[in-house]
Amino acid sequence: MSSALLLQSLILGLLLGGLYALLAAGLTLYFGVMRVVMIAHSAFLILAAYLAWFFTTQTGLDPLLSLIITVPLFFAAGYGMQRALLSRLRPATLTMMSVLLTFAIALVIEGGLGYLFSGTQRRIQLGYSSASLELWGARIAVVKLVAFGLAAVSLLALYLLLKKTRFGQALRATIQHREAAQLLGIDTDRIAGFGFGLGLATAAVGGTALALDATIYPSLHWHWIGPLMAIIVIGGLGSIPGAAIAAMLLGVTQALLQIPMGTTWAQTVFYLALFATLMFRPQGFFGGRLAQRF
Amino acid sequence: MLSASRHRQSRTSSARSVLVIKLVVAAVVLALVLAFPALAPDPFVLSVGVVIASYAALAVAWNFVGGLTGYISLGHAAYSGLGGYGTALLVTEAGVNPWLSMVVAAVLVGVAAVPIGIASLRVRGASFVIVSIALVLILLLVAQSWAGVTGGSNGLRVPRPFGTDVLRPEQHERFFYLFVGLTLVALALWWVIDRSRLGTGLKAIREDEDKAQALGVPTFTYKLVVFVVSAFFTAMAGGMYALWFGSLDPIFQFSILTGSYLVLMSLLGGVRSLLGPVVGAVIVGYAVEFFKNQYGDTQLHLVALGLLLALVVLFMPDGVIPWLTSQLDRFRPSSTSIREVDAAQLAEERKALEEAKS
Repeated sequence: MSSALLLQSLILGLLLGGLYALLAAGLTLYFGVMRVVMIAHSAFLILAAYLAWFFTTQTGLDPLLSLIITVPLFFAAGYGMQRALLSRLRPATLTMMSVLLTFAIALVIEGGLGYLFSGTQRRIQLGYSSASLELWGARIAVVKLVAFGLAAVSLLALYLLLKKTRFGQALRATIQHREAAQLLGIDTDRIAGFGFGLGLATAAVGGTALALDATIYPSLHWHWIGPLMAIIVIGGLGSIPGAAIAAMLLGVTQALLQIPMGTTWAQTVFYLALFATLMFRPQGFFGGRLAQRF
Repeated sequence: MLSASRHRQSRTSSARSVLVIKLVVAAVVLALVLAFPALAPDPFVLSVGVVIASYAALAVAWNFVGGLTGYISLGHAAYSGLGGYGTALLVTEAGVNPWLSMVVAAVLVGVAAVPIGIASLRVRGASFVIVSIALVLILLLVAQSWAGVTGGSNGLRVPRPFGTDVLRPEQHERFFYLFVGLTLVALALWWVIDRSRLGTGLKAIREDEDKAQALGVPTFTYKLVVFVVSAFFTAMAGGMYALWFGSLDPIFQFSILTGSYLVLMSLLGGVRSLLGPVVGAVIVGYAVEFFKNQYGDTQLHLVALGLLLALVVLFMPDGVIPWLTSQLDRFRPSSTSIREVDAAQLAEERKALEEAKS
């Protein structure tokens, strides 16, 4: 194995890890505000990728511009979903039933995409699709850098939003202790809805980033949900930094294992890490006081 | 205790007639089910009947975990798929008798379920579901990639367990009875567990795991036992399906869709009742086959499945029968939660209790 190949895999792993981190942050938000595991997250990711592809084929503009439409749309959809569907579930069985409900939503999205756009594999052709940078012998595609940049900027924006604004404080208070937040005059129901909207907005950004350099098809979301779920459990459910670190580590591990093992077997690293985590440290490795109970 | 038994005595006559009615209904339904192969107009309808019977066996097997403990697994296709692949490999590679292979494969899956259960039952709710999904995804990867053993994407062919002189319709008939038999065995075991100390402990876990643990229920062991039983029966049904269908395709064997069918069936029929999963399997199994027949191979069946699942989860999480009764109750005079004994009866009971004490 040459050092250039190793470096290339390392960089690709970090770039992929960035996208994982953004998406896992969305999943963590849902879990934080409502103790909900959102199986449909990756289905919305693929939906956003399809919207970006559709936007580009119809208008000929850059897929990044579709974010102007998809991010507000997904934010509203997330808010509506939380207020209209998930908040109807009984609190006693919320966790289990929400998994089933979001699973049902994922099926509807997958089936709808398959019906509307057929199962054909789609790919966006861009002027800079084949452009790449060379760095000490490692070749990195420009689209991957753009996707990573998008993910990094969004994660930074999310971080600033959560840490620096009043809304972010209210959201974090709701995550930490709902009743206490209510006593302080926070409208936790609305905040939970906004938290959901934010989570879904990360899927919109991630989907556009994904559409830049991946071939998409309706059932692709199953390949994403497993790794993402593994990441949030390993990171400790409910911990955004934990999810980000786990995402980076696993992304790099996957990319490095691809060299000797091939892409399919390298995927198993997520599941092996998941089982190992549950065996030895069920609450996850970073933070996650919430995890074991849910 | 004494007053309770007296109370029971006063109601035995009505309880006995209810029991008689239940037994008669059960006998009639069972007779109809057993007569189905004779009544089926053509082999296609018969094969649909076999599919529904296999769903019933799988759903009852699922309900050992889902119904008794409230842990919802979306990944039971992992065990049915492993049972199918195990049976196929034992028959083709080791030359074992097909029926023996089916049982051996199911036992092996049961053994494999122990470490899986230890890992996944340590966490509650959401993480459990995540692990169950992850298990199916990982097995799909393995089945597709490990071509030397599993045949890769081409899958495996399973030789028929009956001789070539047994024609296709007769095969359907025999497998129909086999699946019904497996379902009945699983139902009997569920009934026994439901009434045992184990079942009481499991239902306590379902209602409130922390309290159950505080009361001294060995929650982890109980959950693990029932998890292994569930995996065993699921693998039996999977192995039987492999022998009936004759070929295994990894996409269909290790599919999350199969697992979600089982969840939908059990929830729709009612996870808390013995026969709920069977009722759900008949409704959903028939609907799935009907949908395939009418609309063919479009992606709309996913949309239909998703919408149906969402409706069940939102509006009838206890199943269709409790939902129907609650809808009917709207038209009845509202019932009271106070028991229907008047003051005189109560005083009499008390007196009897006092006498018994002294």
